[in-house]
Amino acid sequence: MVQSNRPGIALLHGDVTLGDMAQPVFTSLLLIALAVSAKALTPAHHLSSTDVARLQATLDQPFEDLQSAFYIIVGLNKLGTRVSDEKSACQFLRSNLDSSSIDSLFYASEASQALSDCEVPVSNETRDLLLATISEDSSVSQIYHAVAALTSLGLPLSSQEVVSALTARITKEDNVLAITMALHTASRLSQQADLRGILEEIEDLAARLDDLGGVYLQFEEGLEATALFVTAAYELSDHVGMEPPLKEDQVVQLVNSLFSKKTWGSLAEAYSVACAAAVLSNNHYHIPVIVRTQGPATVSHRDPALQLQVTNVLSQPLTSASVLLESARSVSSKSVVLKQASFSLKGETFELNFMHSQAASGYYDFSVAVRGDDRFVGNQVELKVKVSTEVGIANVDLSVVDKDQSIAPKTTRVEYPTKGKGTFTVDSHQNFALSFQLVDVNTGVELTPHQTFVRLHNQKTGQEVVFVAEPDSKNVYKFELDAAERKSEFDSVSGTYALYLIIGDATLENPILWNVADVVLKFVDEEGPAIIQSKNIYAPKPEIQHLFREPEKKPPTVVSNTFTALVLAPLLLLLILWLKLGANISNFSFAPSTLLFHLGHAAMLGLMYVYWTQLNMFQTLKYLAVLGSLTYLAGNRMLAQKAVKRIAAEQSSRLAKYRSLR
Amino acid sequence: MSNSVLSVISRFLEEYLSSTPTKLKMCDAYLLYILLTGAMQFLYCLLVGTFPFNSFLSGFISCVGAFILAVCLRIQINPQNKSEFLGISPERAFADFLFAHTVLHLVVINFIG
Repeated sequence: MVQSNRPGIALLHGDVTLGDMAQPVFTSLLLIALAVSAKALTPAHHLSSTDVARLQATLDQPFEDLQSAFYIIVGLNKLGTRVSDEKSACQFLRSNLDSSSIDSLFYASEASQALSDCEVPVSNETRDLLLATISEDSSVSQIYHAVAALTSLGLPLSSQEVVSALTARITKEDNVLAITMALHTASRLSQQADLRGILEEIEDLAARLDDLGGVYLQFEEGLEATALFVTAAYELSDHVGMEPPLKEDQVVQLVNSLFSKKTWGSLAEAYSVACAAAVLSNNHYHIPVIVRTQGPATVSHRDPALQLQVTNVLSQPLTSASVLLESARSVSSKSVVLKQASFSLKGETFELNFMHSQAASGYYDFSVAVRGDDRFVGNQVELKVKVSTEVGIANVDLSVVDKDQSIAPKTTRVEYPTKGKGTFTVDSHQNFALSFQLVDVNTGVELTPHQTFVRLHNQKTGQEVVFVAEPDSKNVYKFELDAAERKSEFDSVSGTYALYLIIGDATLENPILWNVADVVLKFVDEEGPAIIQSKNIYAPKPEIQHLFREPEKKPPTVVSNTFTALVLAPLLLLLILWLKLGANISNFSFAPSTLLFHLGHAAMLGLMYVYWTQLNMFQTLKYLAVLGSLTYLAGNRMLAQKAVKRIAAEQSSRLAKYRSLR
Repeated sequence: MSNSVLSVISRFLEEYLSSTPTKLKMCDAYLLYILLTGAMQFLYCLLVGTFPFNSFLSGFISCVGAFILAVCLRIQINPQNKSEFLGISPERAFADFLFAHTVLHLVVINFIG
């Protein structure tokens, strides 16, 4: 188990952890997996030759300061080109060098190494300054710059001291950039030094990469950090002689992340991408392979060879590789058409003549493997190749058939591409029939393309009706037109219609538009030639007026008034009856409670009227509470008094009755 | 047949007019008034239509409710029913009648619109 100082990263070890002893086992497993041709990831992005040119142009800027000069000189060197004027570049470095600054020394010395025949003068003080920087108290960046400057200038240093300083520093500076610089530093040290601790950092750092959708793998710090990490990892791995702990899929994902961006915002970014591209094209362990077709992936009889470009990430052709077509499988019939055919190298491209296999037209899935070097990564490629052909029309028969089949049908044969002689007249009791066959010109096989249309075009009115011709079981296309049945599609417009046959498909090189003949259609109930007006759907539509809700019809006022009188009439009757019965208010006692009760009651009834006209329920209840309680209290008093009087009257009458009985 | 019906009716009216106390007769007159008012409203609805339906309903329900309450009052103040309403004196019955009417009027006025 790997000892790590950072417990957080230990948790991420999971599937990435492999002991040093398991490395060879892992690589052999990887090769077996490749041999079995599992569906492996292939690079989606790389630097095409135009991209490389653009990268060089981005780097090829006039020098502004020492740092930009460093990026430009070393970046261009990595891409295999040189600065235009090396002498003036060297002069620039020498004149801008600040011997008291570690960074300045780093840039100048590294850049001078990239130039041919450029020396940076260095004094003893400078050397002492650089050596003094190698300690636990300097930042990783400072240590790196000092070590790199010392090695570029050819000055001796103690690797062990550097290793211990770095190891101590890494625990304090945990970010991606610092550890990447530590890796860079380690690749400058002597091979005898104990670099294992720093080597383990590659794995830890790789675990921090973010997987985006299974396609990209990058640091959240961005492209520059990812590119510098890749450069450092491979440089250190080459230096130490151990394969970097990156799986093939991870390498492909890194390639995608690094080369998906085609314009670079700063010199630093361009420099980092150039370094990464250079290291991925030339290291001892992993070389990502880019396989592309030259032109569209189409073969035909005229152009029977499929050409592939096999390059590295810098679009440099890998002419030492051997390209093998493992299998070509037809998409429609799923049968394997060709197996184990090798591509031949012609110049810088690999070619294969696919038409030798007599493949039918259609789409094929090609499984291509690039062999020749154990380092190849992403070398199992799936391509979709189209085989196209030319179509010919044979056995074209036009006939006018009588519906009740009393008259024998007249059949005329037409040869493509001539037009049928004479016109064909079809009226309501006849059918028009067309039959034809489509064959592959080169192989004679019957074809069923996607588009087989019969178009009837009325030249006078501009009407156009299109029908589909369907093949029967023997792949003979048939089309029948029943004039009476289809008259609605023609708007019953009789006249001469030009009959066209339209044949098309993705795999056909010669789509056909052929005027077969002219047909005169006669419809009954002709409505006269209607001029086809193209409906302008973008003109404003007529305005919709809003219809407000109509108020309900009220009955006339006379009726309402009559019924109001009728409803109030019984009140009159009531008063009359009561008077007849002898209702009177002679018993009305003017006690205060009585008065209060009657007033309160009247007020409550008045409140009802006010409620109807003005108030809402809450206000009414408020007033009602006040009035009601008053009325209640007064009424209670009054009724109690009445009850007492009544009981007294009853008692006295009972007493009188009792007495009279005695 | 009709002769017997007529005689029954005249007999009934005679009995009624003689043996019913005046208080109850007054209540009966009130009941008749309520009935006629309700009938008039219903007639209007039948003939002219239900246009302000909420108003019709509220008026009609008012008549029906008042009729029911008056019938209850009549039952309760009838001295012949005293045995069934021992705890309820006529005054109490009248107070209940007034309270129930207040609630009825509140609802009717709310709904009349």
